[in-house]
Amino acid sequence: MRAAAIALALLATAGCAHGQGSPGPAASGSGAVGYVRMDELVQKHPLYDQLARYERSIEAFDLSSTAPQVAKTDPQLAQREAELQRELRDAADRTNKLLNEKQRQYQQEESAAIAAAMAGAGRTGPSAAQIAGNVNATAAQQQSGVAAQAQRDLDAYRKTLQRQDQAQIAAAQKALTDRADRTYRAKVDELQAKESALSLKLASDDAAQRLALRTKLSSLALDDAVREETQKQLSALDRKEADALAAQRNRDQQTLLTLNAQLHEQVQHDLNAQVASIQSRSIGSLSQRRQSLTQQIRSVPAPAPVVRTQIVNGRPQQQIDANLPPALRARIEQLHNDYQKRFQNDAKTTIAQFKKTRDDLSRRYNELHGIDAGSQAGAAAQIAALRKKHDDLYDQMVAQIDREVKLIAQQRGISVVLTNVVASPPAGGVDLTPDALKDIESLHE
Amino acid sequence: MKTPFTRGRAAALAFALGVAFLAMPAIGATDVTDIGSLDQGALAALPSFQAANKQLNDYGNGLRGQYIRRAQHASQAEQARLGNEFQQKMADKQRQLFGPLFQKAQIAIASVASSKNLSVVVDKRIVVFGGQDITPSVRQLLTGIGDPVPPSSTPPPSKVGYVDQSAIDQTPRVKAAAEEFGKFKNDQDKIFQDKLKNAKSAADRDAVLKDYRKTLDDKQNATLKPVVDQTRNAMSDVAKSKGLILVVDKGNIVFGGTDITKDVVDKLK
Repeated sequence: MRAAAIALALLATAGCAHGQGSPGPAASGSGAVGYVRMDELVQKHPLYDQLARYERSIEAFDLSSTAPQVAKTDPQLAQREAELQRELRDAADRTNKLLNEKQRQYQQEESAAIAAAMAGAGRTGPSAAQIAGNVNATAAQQQSGVAAQAQRDLDAYRKTLQRQDQAQIAAAQKALTDRADRTYRAKVDELQAKESALSLKLASDDAAQRLALRTKLSSLALDDAVREETQKQLSALDRKEADALAAQRNRDQQTLLTLNAQLHEQVQHDLNAQVASIQSRSIGSLSQRRQSLTQQIRSVPAPAPVVRTQIVNGRPQQQIDANLPPALRARIEQLHNDYQKRFQNDAKTTIAQFKKTRDDLSRRYNELHGIDAGSQAGAAAQIAALRKKHDDLYDQMVAQIDREVKLIAQQRGISVVLTNVVASPPAGGVDLTPDALKDIESLHE
Repeated sequence: MKTPFTRGRAAALAFALGVAFLAMPAIGATDVTDIGSLDQGALAALPSFQAANKQLNDYGNGLRGQYIRRAQHASQAEQARLGNEFQQKMADKQRQLFGPLFQKAQIAIASVASSKNLSVVVDKRIVVFGGQDITPSVRQLLTGIGDPVPPSSTPPPSKVGYVDQSAIDQTPRVKAAAEEFGKFKNDQDKIFQDKLKNAKSAADRDAVLKDYRKTLDDKQNATLKPVVDQTRNAMSDVAKSKGLILVVDKGNIVFGGTDITKDVVDKLK
């Protein structure tokens, strides 16, 4: 690439090795070979401004500029997503831990209750009311711990959602503005290309007439009146072209003003919709999370049943002592089943809610990445379109320059004209660049 | 004040001059030099080249799939090694497929150039006007029955010289200047990328880009321009000493020409 820079520089600046751009041995026709410095001629062409605009736009894209945040995925996005996922995982782990804790506590209470029930059936065990009291106290303690943790989780979750919302809204705003910007620039390019084409057409249409007038003017034998008349005709030709081009430019300017207003309105409208959607989803997620946590708090163990765990064939099995009174056994069994069911449901619901929320957030981020990818594809297409326009315009300009150079070469009896010449010694080929420059410049005087 | 007669004569003279001026092309165009041109794109469109191109593409597609599979679970170093291996295999295949075709084309070009007494054949893209376009003759030889026969004589000495710019780029001064500019550009790219990210409007962006271009232009003038001037002068001196009329890049020479690369490189040392 660096080597290419040197080579390009040589081609661009060393089109002629002698005289630093000064005319060569003008009419010597040494070897009847001429050359032109095409880059220099292109730069003096009336459409060069348009070509340079394309080059600047391409350069801007190459420097990942026109849509920097869009063309290049926001690196913070993935980081924030990972952060969110981690927080949610941590919260899920804490919930699981709490549920395990509850289960252990329950088993302890259950064992105590069984012991108490057994003692009550014998002599001095606690009464059923005392057992229930102990279980309730433990449950209240657990509930309090779970509620506090749940509140902390909820607060953290709310803050995370707020951060994500802000990031999403900022990204959406950037993407929408950049999209509008690209649309506007594309229209500007399109209109400028049309103006260039018109300018080229006008110049080509009048080329023969202009050449005839200029040839006439170059005659020394022309008297003043005819010279003045010819000059007037040439000026009228220039004015006619300039007026046609100015009229077109005015119309294009009006089109651009209207488009700008439309795009501004569209961006605002789309942004409002995106913001509403983002906020609505956040509110929904927060509400779901709140419900999930409320359910979790409510499902902290109710007064525990009394069941004995026995190891049968190496596996724990819960059995109610057959010696207990039938009413007490039935009560214990019912409480145990209820508790087990609620506990399992609670655990499942809590985990499912976490998973759902996590999936929801992942989906939202994927959508955001989707916007990003869409914009990226749009930027690439824009670059390709710009390159094509640039190359087409360049070819048009070079074709016109070639025509002018051909005329000059024929007039001066040069049989071959080359370009991309890296050096030519003083007595070498004929440099036709100065003559060609005059003709190119006079195209749009 | 001129009389009507004078005006009439002057107008007639001007008309005659104009006509003569415009009629000159026909006279000039008959002057033929020993410079030929070839449209290489037209040769690439020949069926034999197209078939070789298709084979290369098919081969590349198959090979790419294999290498992607192999690279999927490879380390970064291994991926780089696989990448090089892939490139090498593609280059070998390209040589295998196109080598004989290029050789045949070179013989055809030399044969046509010899028959037309051309001392040099350049790429048609650098010809603005004139010269002898030998593309149709070369195409005819390549698509005809049998292989083209090499000419018995070498091309005559040409007044058109050429340099291999890649060799000149490797001379210490040019290389150092290019590296300095390259490093500077890389640094500036990063700086201006950040500036562009912070640009709030299209006008801001345009201002940043303008500044970027100016920064690079200034540096280019400070580092590259002196060596470019030196190189240009060296080429011009060598061309003069060898009686050449102009010098082009080697990439634009299809056949013949006078190679002055070594002399220019020696002069730059």
